[in-house]
Amino acid sequence: METIRVNETPVRTSRHFLINNVELDSTILPEKIENFENVSIIGETSKIKIEKDINNCSLTYGLGDILTSQVNEKANQKLKLQVESKTNQDIQISFELDEDNPNLIDMIDITAKENTKATIIIKYETNKAVQAFHNGIIKVLAEKDAELKMIIVNKTNLMSNNFISIENMIHENAKVDYTMIDFGGKNSITNYYSNLVGKNADNHINTIYLGRENQFFDLNYIGELRGEKSNINIEVQGALKDNAKKNFKGTIDFKKGCKKATGNENEACLLLSEQAKSLALPMLLCSEEEVEGNHSSSAGKVGDKELFYIMSRGFEKKEAMKLLVRAKFNNIIDTIKNDDLKTDILDDIEERLD
Amino acid sequence: MSKTKINDINRNIYDIKNKDEYDFKIKKGITKDIVEDISKQKNDPEWMKEFRLKALEVYNQLELPTWGPDISELNMDDIATYVRPKTSLNNSWDDVPEDIKNTFDKLGIPDAEKTSLAGVGAQYDSEVVYHSMKEELIKQGVIYTDMETAVREYPDLVKKHFMKCVPIYDHKFVALHGAVWSGGSFVYVPKGVKVDIPLQSYFRLNSPESGQFEHTLIIVDEGASLHFIEGCSAPKYNKVNLHAGCVELYVKENAYLRYSTIENWSKNMLNLNTKKAIVEKNAQVDWVTGSFGSKISMLYPMSILNGEGAKTEYTGISFAGEGQNLDTGFKVVHNSPNTSSVVNSKSISKNGGKCTYRSLVRINETATHSKSSVSCESLMLDDISISDTIPVNDIRTDEVEFSHEAKIGKISDKTIFYLMSRGLSEEDAKAMIVRGFAYPISKELPVEYAVEMNNLINLELEGAIG
Amino acid sequence: MSQDLLEIKDLHVNAEDKEILKGINLKIKKGDIHVIMGPNGSGKTTTANSILNNPAYQKVNGSITFEGEDITHLKTDEIARKGIFMSFQLPEEIPGVSVTNFLKYAKNKVTGKPVKVFQFKDELETYMKELNMNPKNMERSLNVGFSGGEKKKNEILQMLVLNPKLAILDETDSGLDVDAIKTVSKGIEMFKNDENAILIITHNTKILHSLKVDYVHVLVDGKIVKTGGQDLAKEIEENGYSQYK
Repeated sequence: METIRVNETPVRTSRHFLINNVELDSTILPEKIENFENVSIIGETSKIKIEKDINNCSLTYGLGDILTSQVNEKANQKLKLQVESKTNQDIQISFELDEDNPNLIDMIDITAKENTKATIIIKYETNKAVQAFHNGIIKVLAEKDAELKMIIVNKTNLMSNNFISIENMIHENAKVDYTMIDFGGKNSITNYYSNLVGKNADNHINTIYLGRENQFFDLNYIGELRGEKSNINIEVQGALKDNAKKNFKGTIDFKKGCKKATGNENEACLLLSEQAKSLALPMLLCSEEEVEGNHSSSAGKVGDKELFYIMSRGFEKKEAMKLLVRAKFNNIIDTIKNDDLKTDILDDIEERLD
Repeated sequence: MSKTKINDINRNIYDIKNKDEYDFKIKKGITKDIVEDISKQKNDPEWMKEFRLKALEVYNQLELPTWGPDISELNMDDIATYVRPKTSLNNSWDDVPEDIKNTFDKLGIPDAEKTSLAGVGAQYDSEVVYHSMKEELIKQGVIYTDMETAVREYPDLVKKHFMKCVPIYDHKFVALHGAVWSGGSFVYVPKGVKVDIPLQSYFRLNSPESGQFEHTLIIVDEGASLHFIEGCSAPKYNKVNLHAGCVELYVKENAYLRYSTIENWSKNMLNLNTKKAIVEKNAQVDWVTGSFGSKISMLYPMSILNGEGAKTEYTGISFAGEGQNLDTGFKVVHNSPNTSSVVNSKSISKNGGKCTYRSLVRINETATHSKSSVSCESLMLDDISISDTIPVNDIRTDEVEFSHEAKIGKISDKTIFYLMSRGLSEEDAKAMIVRGFAYPISKELPVEYAVEMNNLINLELEGAIG
Repeated sequence: MSQDLLEIKDLHVNAEDKEILKGINLKIKKGDIHVIMGPNGSGKTTTANSILNNPAYQKVNGSITFEGEDITHLKTDEIARKGIFMSFQLPEEIPGVSVTNFLKYAKNKVTGKPVKVFQFKDELETYMKELNMNPKNMERSLNVGFSGGEKKKNEILQMLVLNPKLAILDETDSGLDVDAIKTVSKGIEMFKNDENAILIITHNTKILHSLKVDYVHVLVDGKIVKTGGQDLAKEIEENGYSQYK
């Protein structure tokens, strides 16, 4: 079997620990990439400039040469968004992968201009029957005082492969929030990188993932703090059923000069079966003195006491279990203000936990 | 410049250099001829000679690690792997040559032997020069001797255990160790025997451009218990010295072993050491480790919890100053049900030093109802130092409780102000906070070592502040 | 004026580039108990911290003298060794350093003399008994895991042990129940004599029920707007600060 090696951690550790990178069967890469038509953009497009022409991009990290150059050479969807003023209405970009459009290679370039505000929702969905492939790059530039909220929803089916590389550049007083709902894919591989260059630059990442059957998640989040008083918060809550497996690699890197910066990382994985597996590498790297960094990581099953308490109120075990998993996700789901999307996600959780 | 000077003067007890006098020093480098010569010099039995040559083969095949500190400055062609001191093994300090005895005197070994130890081994360069244990332990069947004597006198025990816990394939420097090992201690505690007072082995490397490769093999039989202390130091030279020791611990059913280390190698030492314990049913191994010295350390003691109900605790502190890169941590593999591990690690970085906490917690499918909790704290004393935390948590089944916490930061200005308002100078305040930070580890050490550790902290801080 | 202990003249202090104190004047003589009262944010804690020259606060103008010596820009520990003590509103937690060891060390620093171990231990035990403190706390890490009340009592214990010439009590009474306030007042009475002085900083008047004070100063928006006797405290208890705003 020929393999491709993707999603390298920023700092290597012993290969016996099996976390430096992920190796996948190279046949998952589609041989032929057709045009992709199923995309819709809704929202207050008057305040946002949308173009279809983007130059190739290079990534500081990304998922590796093969996948990055695939996007640069073969992208069948390119979008350039420029947020030019404050907007209260969400922009929603939906990609639907189906039999006629099974392969999506997308590049999305977002610039939030100085002192602007926007919420951008990006959804990747497949219909039930298709074996789809998605590989995309999202690049975000948040200029001074910009406020950007990104919601990325991955609802591809369990036959598909999903790859996303995200790269953010965050300037002075800019605030970039991500909510990532990672449900789909046989393999769902994410590389997330934020460069907090500006003073008071702020970045929150809230992720939930939910795995079942043979799903495999590999989340590689990297936050580099360079600006004074910059802050990054990584919160990852997940649950794994059946034979699902996840790797979480979270790096907070305090670079020289980021005086008074803060970084927090919290990762919790609920294991809902004996075969589910959680591998985590929550890294803190520090080359500056006056900083505060914390991380915590936990794994295990739903607490017996909590379960008993809920069941004593008349819930069946399965229902009680679902309730507790949802409880773990609630804080993150509440960061989504779009009610339709929220309902959609809650329904999906319900279905996936069944 | 004056800062370094303070350090150098204050380190004097560790930095006493004796003349590089020896009975025999092997040619520098690592070749088949050299390994055969070491084997001949040591009068190895045939099986050990074969073992060394096999290990050399493996050494030549294995790559250097692709992660961690850069150790490219190590050139094995510049290292003499065997230096026999100008004395044989003694059981009375009076028979140890004057300058060697003086060194151990200043390190406080004979004194500690009188007051707080049940037995002492002292190694100088490649061979053990002194070994002794209290009479009553001998009567109880406890064996505590140098490794060479063990190979000769307890061949079955040694053959059964030697490099079985740490196989030569583990990594390149373990293979090197297998090829050129010399010295070290062998301990066997028979079933049910509780050794209440610690045994201690001290390893001193005096010879420049050489390596120390001592092998420590400890078997604590069913229901027995032991506290073993390991100390190490060396004077500073301009060229690289290498330490690639190996520690193998077998803790049988219901047995207990506590393994304490104060490592204070000189700052030209590459410390690439390997330590591993196999822990059986309801047995426990506790590691207490203080790492202060060396230029580069790569050291990750490991517990393999094979028996049901096996337990392990790791309590470690490292303190990296100028020019030091201390890459340390802990590995634990849970293989059986109801096993537990507790990790408490602290590090302090100052004057451009780098501390890395690197670890693995693996809870396998078979280890249901196991627990593991990890806590790491790192203190940055200035803005030119580095502190990294790289923990891998590999959880492979659901019936477990696992938690990991890490913190990084500097001493808070508020805390310094509070202490200064009570009359402490800024330097005193910082030193007090650092000593307090290290206290959970120093309290686990025998009292002389705790004092030594506090002195080391004060001494290191004198260079860091002001 | 050998009776003068502390004199603050026209003190202007900034915190994070914001002017907090806008010209404070205050004179404290030996044997006096002074109270500074004021609403939240008026600059009470800043005043206390400025006397001990906390580097987090910048002195823009004015001076502080202690026993005739200018201490405006001395380091905190030097000021402490001159005989000024401050009881913190939020005492810091120091893991791994026991109360006994800390106090022994601090006493040695403040007096410049070696501490006699047994005598010191007796002294400490006596004080702890008087303050209803659990003697087991002596061996615990300083303030770590202490309740709010235990922390405040620990500050009073430190005051008694270090025996300063001037004790500044920053919100020592806040957040305490009636019994704890009585204990704290008892500690203050044990400490007080004709040769020393106390500056109590508070936003409520509870502690003044069990303590006789000589001067009450009302601090509003970085300035002392009124000075009076114990009656002034009573008046504020009834009417609040609104009339001074």
